This record gives sequence, C-alpha cells and structure tokens, in this order.
Amino acid sequence: MASPGTSSSPPSRSLPHGTPAASNAGVLPADVLFDVLLRLPAKEICRLRAVCRAWRSLTVDHLFASPHAARHPLFLASFRDDRAHICVVDLCGTVVKRIPNAEGHQLLHTRLDLACVATARYGCRVLNPATGSVEILPERPADDHLNRDNFRKPNTSFAFGRIATTGEYKVLRIFDRLSLHGFNEQQLFEVLTIQGASSSSSGRAQWRARQSHDRFVEASSAIVVGEVVYFKVDRLYDARILAGINTSIKPDNIISFDLEREEWKGVLRGPIADIFFTDEYDDHLEDYCFLWPELTLADLRGSLSLVLYRKSRRIMDLWVLKDFDTGLWVKEYVIQIELNFPTTEWRVRSLFMLEDGRIGIHFPKTGLVFIYDPRTNTYVQMGRRHLEAVAMYTGNLLSLQVGDMV
Amino acid sequence: MASAGSGDEKAAAAAMITLISSDNEKFEVTEATATLSQTIRHMIEDGCTDGGVPLPNVTSKILARVIEYCKKHATAAAGEEGSSSSFSDAAFLEVDRAFLEELEEFDDAFLEVDRATLFDLILAANYLDIKGLLNLTCQKVADSVKGKTPEQIREMYNIVNDLTPEEEAEIRRETQWAFE
Repeated sequence: MASPGTSSSPPSRSLPHGTPAASNAGVLPADVLFDVLLRLPAKEICRLRAVCRAWRSLTVDHLFASPHAARHPLFLASFRDDRAHICVVDLCGTVVKRIPNAEGHQLLHTRLDLACVATARYGCRVLNPATGSVEILPERPADDHLNRDNFRKPNTSFAFGRIATTGEYKVLRIFDRLSLHGFNEQQLFEVLTIQGASSSSSGRAQWRARQSHDRFVEASSAIVVGEVVYFKVDRLYDARILAGINTSIKPDNIISFDLEREEWKGVLRGPIADIFFTDEYDDHLEDYCFLWPELTLADLRGSLSLVLYRKSRRIMDLWVLKDFDTGLWVKEYVIQIELNFPTTEWRVRSLFMLEDGRIGIHFPKTGLVFIYDPRTNTYVQMGRRHLEAVAMYTGNLLSLQVGDMV
Repeated sequence: MASAGSGDEKAAAAAMITLISSDNEKFEVTEATATLSQTIRHMIEDGCTDGGVPLPNVTSKILARVIEYCKKHATAAAGEEGSSSSFSDAAFLEVDRAFLEELEEFDDAFLEVDRATLFDLILAANYLDIKGLLNLTCQKVADSVKGKTPEQIREMYNIVNDLTPEEEAEIRRETQWAFE
C-alpha cells in the first residue's frame, strides 16, 4: 500500500450503502482487491473475469498470476474412479480443471507445466492443462528399432523433461526386455524432441535411437530431475543379489541418462549399501533383502532424492544427492511413518516437495496422498479419492488469456 | 498493557498512546496495542506521537473496533512470548492451545458485522497496516465471493458491468471450464 503519513489527505472512501459504486474499480482499493482475489482458487478467478473490466484486467496480469500460482500450488492427478480425465487439483484434492484423457493413458510423475500421459504399448501424449491442447507422439519407433523384438511385443515406459537452455521438451521412450529373465536381451532407448507450442513441427518429429546401457534399468522407476533421467537398477539384479549371486551391482545403484546430451552418465552409488552393515545403519541382515523394493527415486525441488520406506522400523529416510560427481548424499529427513498410513503400504509410489518445504507422499496400493509438514511434524490427507498417479503442475491456469484478451 | 504484571505498571503507564479518530474522539491505548499497526509503530519510532496520533481516515466507530481487535491480539502476542521458553511443557502447550481457540472464536465473532463495516475495517487495517486484521477481513470477503456467479457478485458489491456482451461472451468461452 502507499504508506500513509500523518498528513495524508483522507482518500475518498465513501462506501456504497445501497447506491452503485461511483467507479467500476470496485468498492475496494485496487491493492486490497488484489489481496482479496489472490485468496481465491484459479477457477473462481477465471469466472470472476466476467464481473467487470477492472476485475478482468487485474486478474489477467502476470503480476497477479505469478503470486497466485505461488500461493495456490496445483497438481495433476489421475483418479482411479475417473481414468478418462487428467485433473488439475489443489492441495485439498479439489478438482480445479479436468482435461480429457479418453483412452486412459497413465500420467507420468513430473514437475512441469505440461502433462505427459503414456501407455505400455508405444503410446504417448503431451497435454497442456492451461490450453487443453494435446500432442500425440508418433508410435512408429526409430528406424534402428523397427525390426527389433522389443517393438513387436512392446512394454514401454517413458520419461518426460524440459531442457532449460533451449526450452524444448524431450521424451525418452524405453522398450523393456521381453522376459523376466532375459539376460541376453536388450532394452531399447529412443528420444523425441517436442518443439514447443507449434504442433506442426512436432507432427514431423521422429524418435531417435539412442545407445542402450550395458546394465538394465528399472524402466518404471524413472524420475526426471532437471535434465537427467534417473533409474533404479533392474529388478533382475535384485533377484540375483537375493539369490546370493555375487555381482558388483548394489540395490541402491542409480543409472542416469542426460536428456540434453542424449547420452548415459556414470552409475551413481546410492548412500545405503555401503553403510548397510555398519553402526551408522541400525538394521538387520534380512532387511537388506527388502532394500530394493523399498527404494523410490524422487525429485525434491530440483535435487535427486532416494526415499527408503522402512516400514518395519516405522521410519522413512530421505537421502538427497548433493554432488553427482563425488556421489555425496545427505540424509536430510528422517520421517516417522504415521500410524494413520494405510498398513497395506510397504513403499512409496512417488514423493514430491512443495515450495514451502512440505512433502507429498503418494502410496501405490491405496492411491492415497499425504502432505507432511516437517516443521510441525504433522500430516494432512490430500482429498479422499484414490489416485493412480500424481504430478506437480508448474504452469499457470490464469495466464493463458494474456495474449488474447487486450 | 492491561494484563501486564503489577511491577510493569509504571512502564506500561509511561507507554500510553492517544489515537484521535476523524470525528475527533480520543482513545488511550498501550504502546503494545498500538504497535500492532505498522503505521503507528513507525510514528512512535520517529518520535512523532506526542499530543496524540490523528487518524483522519478512521471514524470513532471503526477505530473502537480496531482497538478491540488490537487489544486482544496484543495480549495473545505477549502470551506467546511468555510461554515460548517452556515450549516443551505440556501444560503450557495446553494453555496455548486453549488460548488460540479462544482467539479464533474472538476473530469469528469480530467478523459478524455488516458489509459496510467490514469494508471500513479493511480500509482501516490497510491504512494502519495491521497485517492480522487485514488478513482476517480480506479472507472474509474472499469467502463471501466463493462459488458466486458474476451476476451475484455485481449485485452484492454494486458493481456496474462495463464489459460489452461480446467481451463477456468471449471470457465465458475462453474460460468455459470455470463456469462448468
């Protein structure tokens, strides 16, 4: 507000008591109106644009849209009872907007202003929740992959990220090996670039074959942090570790693919395997066997995190990668596993962090999401419905009209 | 302040501030109460409160309500400071919780006013820069707007629709999802 001094003249503040407001700026000063409207969810704001010119121009301004987005974090959700839509929801799980997803594609866990939905049979689409535009990516694989077995019996996984320097979005498609024990098979990787808003160019976009890694990745564990896709090692290795077959691979090894350069990075050692039988890690021998399935990779506001859900100890450890090159991990959070959590859950499906430091935890079996506040050590449940998948949404539902409404 | 221990009475008495409403009514308040207003806090810091603080934008009716709010919340702030050292003490936490509940009840009752008074309170809170009161009153207005149609809001707040029918149709078309 304009800081008033003692000598400031009284502003005209006569309020309408039944008489129409003299000015259409509304009955409240613009800065107060701003403050009031900032408290309303995006859907209300869009509706209120039809009240009058002043309200419209205030709410289409990016000076309003940015603080509004910061105040009302939004998520993308795929509800189990409504697979035909991807929903934009708020922190309470209230649906703000629904986007058609008629073929029931799976929503990827991302932290972007676009949504990526995909199937296990080649299919992948990129949705823009603000405009509702849909981009269908080609099913035809890269030429090098056309005659491969993986393509004939597809089991595809996807990762979706944005390259900061170019503003391009890229999709990594993985054709998994065909059989559970297929040690002499290969996983195939290909990348497709989405140019941005102009869908005409991506209509011609092609998948580009990329080198396979010499180890298998757990394709469904992919998480994109910045411009890097991280994977857990394939469960195949876990089976061998459990069987006592000596391999150099540890259950918390992490394999990573640089989306910008479209090449593999070195294998990252996790923080747990090395300290497993030491005093630093208070655990039993048999727990080592359960380590792999209890691990989840997460993007904690731009840092890779390794989540270990130790149900037997009622503790969830969050390790955060501080430096890729030196493999420095720091255990930043040790979170008590709440008694209210569903007892059927023995791992976390996805985990994310809000701007204010609160942590969202999505469970795979029940599909419930809990928001944990480390400052108060309290939880709230995000709505009552069961979610198949959840993603953070960094876009802005208010800003789309800026270009159109002058 | 009023609830301070007897040993503080001298200091408290020395720190009284006089607020003067637009209709020239004088209100004696403690400094702790007055400084919930950032505007007044700055005046005190600048040493220009001798002879009273004229508030030409605030009527006596509204100023009385504002002071009522500040008194209650100044007591709350003092209570919080007092108990923070024994944060781990369950008994104190219990007291805190009860006090917060009481404060919430006070706020709810405080907001039971007609719209004109509510707007006057907002303008006063804005002018006096009282964060808590502004927050409380703005939220009340925001809640009153929730779920309403543009027509209902225009009616409630006597806003004249200056959009052309074409413009309004355009808005409704573009943000159709918001009207579903």
